[in-house]
Amino acid sequence: MRPGTVRLLTGLAALAVLASAAYVAALGNWALVGACAACAFAVAVGWVIVRHDPTSPVGPALAWTTAAIAVVTVHVGPLAELPWSSGAWPLNLAGLLALMLVFPDGASSGRVWRAVPWAFGVATLGMVAVQWGARQVDGEVVGGPNGAWVPPVAVLSLLTIGLSLVLAAASLAVRYRHGTRRTRQQTRWLLLAGIVVVALLVAGWVAEGLGASLDAAYTPFLIAIVTLVPISVGIAIVRYDLFDVDRLLTGATAWLVTLVVSATIFGLAVYGVSHALSIGTGLTSGVAAFVTALTLLPVQRHIASWVGRIVDRDRHVAVAEVERFAADVRAGRRQPEEIEAVLRKVEDDPDLVVHLARPDGGWTRLDGTPVADPPDGFSIEAGGDVIASVSLGWDSARARRRIADVAKAAWVPLEVTRLRLVLREALTETEASRQRLVEASAAERRKLERDLHDGAQQRIVATGMRLRLLQEHLPAEQAAEVDTAVAELRGTVDELRRIAQGVRPILLDDGLAAALTAVKASSPIPFDLMVGDLPAVSDIRMLTAYLVVTEAVANVLKHAQASRISVTVAARQDRLAVEVVDDGIGGVPDDAPLTALRDRVVSVGGTLGIRSTPSGGTTIQAVV
Amino acid sequence: MRIVVAEDSVLFREGLVRLLAEKGHEVLDAVGDAAALQESVDRNRPDLAVIDVRMPPAMESDGAEAAAALRVLYPDLGLLLLSQHIELRHVLPLVGTPGFGYLLKDRVLDLADFTAAAERVATGGSALDPAVVQSLVHARAGSTLDDLSERELDVLGQVAQGLSNTAIADKLVVSDRTVEAHIRSVFTKLGLPDEGTNRRVLAVLRYLEAR
Repeated sequence: MRPGTVRLLTGLAALAVLASAAYVAALGNWALVGACAACAFAVAVGWVIVRHDPTSPVGPALAWTTAAIAVVTVHVGPLAELPWSSGAWPLNLAGLLALMLVFPDGASSGRVWRAVPWAFGVATLGMVAVQWGARQVDGEVVGGPNGAWVPPVAVLSLLTIGLSLVLAAASLAVRYRHGTRRTRQQTRWLLLAGIVVVALLVAGWVAEGLGASLDAAYTPFLIAIVTLVPISVGIAIVRYDLFDVDRLLTGATAWLVTLVVSATIFGLAVYGVSHALSIGTGLTSGVAAFVTALTLLPVQRHIASWVGRIVDRDRHVAVAEVERFAADVRAGRRQPEEIEAVLRKVEDDPDLVVHLARPDGGWTRLDGTPVADPPDGFSIEAGGDVIASVSLGWDSARARRRIADVAKAAWVPLEVTRLRLVLREALTETEASRQRLVEASAAERRKLERDLHDGAQQRIVATGMRLRLLQEHLPAEQAAEVDTAVAELRGTVDELRRIAQGVRPILLDDGLAAALTAVKASSPIPFDLMVGDLPAVSDIRMLTAYLVVTEAVANVLKHAQASRISVTVAARQDRLAVEVVDDGIGGVPDDAPLTALRDRVVSVGGTLGIRSTPSGGTTIQAVV
Repeated sequence: MRIVVAEDSVLFREGLVRLLAEKGHEVLDAVGDAAALQESVDRNRPDLAVIDVRMPPAMESDGAEAAAALRVLYPDLGLLLLSQHIELRHVLPLVGTPGFGYLLKDRVLDLADFTAAAERVATGGSALDPAVVQSLVHARAGSTLDDLSERELDVLGQVAQGLSNTAIADKLVVSDRTVEAHIRSVFTKLGLPDEGTNRRVLAVLRYLEAR
């Protein structure tokens, strides 16, 4: 709506209230002046809304909810003589109708909704027409047109007015259903006011039933309707996130329902007790109050929860969704790490972030990424410790309360996620440290091999050489002795070389193929060796592959009674796939210890598989 | 024979020098690392360089690399490499060529064999350690040598070590004629030409190829 139109309509409402007040003041009817003053409150709130949102039609609609009432109400004195004064009563509802059609963010599009104001207007004219010139005299309607057309038009107009109100309420419901989070929350404020008004109406009935005067019974209701509705609409538009409207709404509804139930029980009790026991009124009321309190105590909680489920449906659905997720996690159907996605969905907040508390006091994201600063979010506790923190992208009182509700259901998946993360980190650390140990031991082997070759072995040979030189100058007998000594030294050198070979075969420097060729050469049974094009792998992987082959071959020679060994080494991505196959007696169980072999392979992050059938030979496969 | 020795272990170096001197050879220089070896050969122009494979500065295959470099500069220089183990990577192109030898260090304990090998290398012959030969034989699978009998392979292995027919006959305890017959059979099976004097070298090369 254009700002000019909005201001004009609101201004007219203010003018109408002022004019009405001036008129009744001139008549000296101070009760109606007071009523007009009450009506002015809604107009003032309407003006605040206009200032806040100059294009919103809610401001003028709110202003006219009471301005129209003021205009209709002041048809007293000379104005009551006007021919339309009896039939214009539907105008009391015009402002409310407009408010329901445009609240909270403008009218719905669609022919049906656009037709509602026109239908209401025509029906109002119909009502005016059938009561044209009629006047109330001592509670009796006198005058007005006669004729066959009057009853059907009257009925039709009444029905249309009723239908218009129902449709307007329906349009509000439709906008609520399809609305954004904001429109929903705004609509809840109006709903809250409506429920309080209805509750006060019920209270008025009860009070009237108990013998209160009409004024005393219904004044709270009237005050509520002229104050609560404008206040709630004002809050909805200007500061819809002022309070947690869901909690207020739930509380108000539960209060209303409890009130109705208690009034009913109280009435029945009074009736039943007075009839059955024929005792005094005072005692009857006392007994009735006691019975009511006794009955209400247990049902109060159920009423509250039931109302919460109906009125604050979003929250109920959200909690149920998270509880279902937690159950799925327990049943192994879903991964606990999905908790962030689930919370984002139920909170309707794509920027929501879950942080997990680490045992060392730090914080991480769900995927283990560490976070520098402690998160400033809603803390979730388990067993007295803070295990997680949920930071909202859309921060509001309502979102905070919602997260507090779902957190109770979410703590199990969060704790599982956290523990899994901690466990994974511990495992990674263990693996890294094992890798470091393995590499250190490989370096040690290399150094040991060096020391054997360049240290001990070299000195023995040098000593042998000196003996030989000495030998040249010795008589034959002693020379033969030296021969024996030198032969001894040679044996020692050979021994050392073999030891060094076992520590780390020097041939590995020429590649795995060269080293395995030497293994093949020393095999007493036929030995097929196939080595493909191998990727460049670290020394420790190459050594591991070599040791897998030598240990497997040693096992075959020792136990398998095989007639042939076949060794294949191939590239598998950037790793080495080693296969040792024999045609021996087999029968090695799948879970055979082979601990040394398995430890070696696993220590470099590889895998070892054994396949063995009785009399079908054995296959050992390793990927390193 | 004029010799330069390159060996970083003092104990072993002194032993070598004394041993070679004892056998009547002239040891011109004894150095302890690869750079000094190069410089010494430039200065002394020896007939033979006895070189430790693993030497300073890197303590890896410095000696072998120095040998490969010397072969380019001095094609006639005899190169006898000594090592604690078989490590052929850096001298592979030299293996089997005239004037090249590769022995494990403990071979020096057989004084006669060692000096014979040194003399052979200095005069353009070959001297490969049996362990080297064994590792080369097993390195090849499915080569042209598949047709050879066990005995013929044995003989060819001895040829590759640089031994003469007579020496082979002594070693295998057979007659010279038998050795000659085996060698002829090997030549035929390897498809080497009847003519020419370098058939022995060709056979050895064939024997060592594909490494």
